[in-house]
Amino acid sequence: MCELQPKLLAWFDGELAPDEAAAVERHVAACEDCRVQSAAFRKTSQAFNLYCDAVLSTHAKPKIPRWIPALAGAAGLAAAALLLAFARTRVQQPPPAPAPVAALNALPVSVPQPAPRKTLHRKHATPPVPRQVQQWQPVETVEIAIPAEAMFAPGALPEGLKFFADMSIAPDGSVRQVRLRQ
Amino acid sequence: MSDDSLPLALPLPRWVDGTSEVTSLYRELRKPLLRYLVCLGLSSDEAQDIIQDAFLRLQRHLASGGAQENIRGWLFRVAHNQARNAQTTYHRRFAKPLDGEMDFLAEQATPEQAVLEREKFRRLASAIRELAELERECLLLRAEGLRYREIAEVLGLATSTVGDTLERAIRKLAEKCNV
Repeated sequence: MCELQPKLLAWFDGELAPDEAAAVERHVAACEDCRVQSAAFRKTSQAFNLYCDAVLSTHAKPKIPRWIPALAGAAGLAAAALLLAFARTRVQQPPPAPAPVAALNALPVSVPQPAPRKTLHRKHATPPVPRQVQQWQPVETVEIAIPAEAMFAPGALPEGLKFFADMSIAPDGSVRQVRLRQ
Repeated sequence: MSDDSLPLALPLPRWVDGTSEVTSLYRELRKPLLRYLVCLGLSSDEAQDIIQDAFLRLQRHLASGGAQENIRGWLFRVAHNQARNAQTTYHRRFAKPLDGEMDFLAEQATPEQAVLEREKFRRLASAIRELAELERECLLLRAEGLRYREIAEVLGLATSTVGDTLERAIRKLAEKCNV
């Protein structure tokens, strides 16, 4: 092995003092082994660099920048407009939840039980009022993909960023809730 | 007008000057720091938290009149030490083969080329896995553009040790990858 080879990487990295670097450079110009070796250092360094990039791009997801929530309104409006245009007629009142018979039976006796059926035969008995659904449940999920370029200026979003806007639409078509998730 | 384009002659208070410097350093060094920390095996979230913390420390360091020489080495050292404290499974992720995750190689001109490149990367991944921890750290810091004396400062070594370690490490990789 050439005696200057231990200094080859330091020379390649520009770490040698100028006079020493000049000496190595003269030597490399004349030494085939050292030329091959420094080419190998260059290729290996490039490959290592690419490998680091691959590790980074594989494991580093871009965080949603803090200003994205400020744009949630815009995203919500656009998605709401689309939803209303295509899906409003399909939004239906959800069926009333089935009576939780099993749960009622399992309850302790102290819980007030429904009145016996015979009381319904009384005169002027109030007809049973159907239970109102207090909490609105989502009926169906409509997924609409809106390209980021259509909503944000070019370069405003990190490349490859995707997020979902979950929207709850009430039976009257109004937007109940918008939530962004990645 | 960005902060760092302010003329230096302005009689700015020291902390304003420091803030401007930290901002431009952040722009320059955020990605190298992120890549270094992720390659050490931290998750992206852990790495980003450490980077934010390191820059906050830098701001305090400069505001309190700390040394302004070799700030890059200083930042990497703070981040490196934080990473050491944070990580429990050192180098696990970096050493994991990137099977199925090298999609960018599919853009090679021909499938044969892509297969060759993939094979080369596999060999490199395996060679990196076999390196000593110190050799890997030196190579990672070198890949982020740190000079030998900066690497020495980050890892607490003599500059000559860094040179020897790097030489040994890159020779191992070159031999195992047949480049």
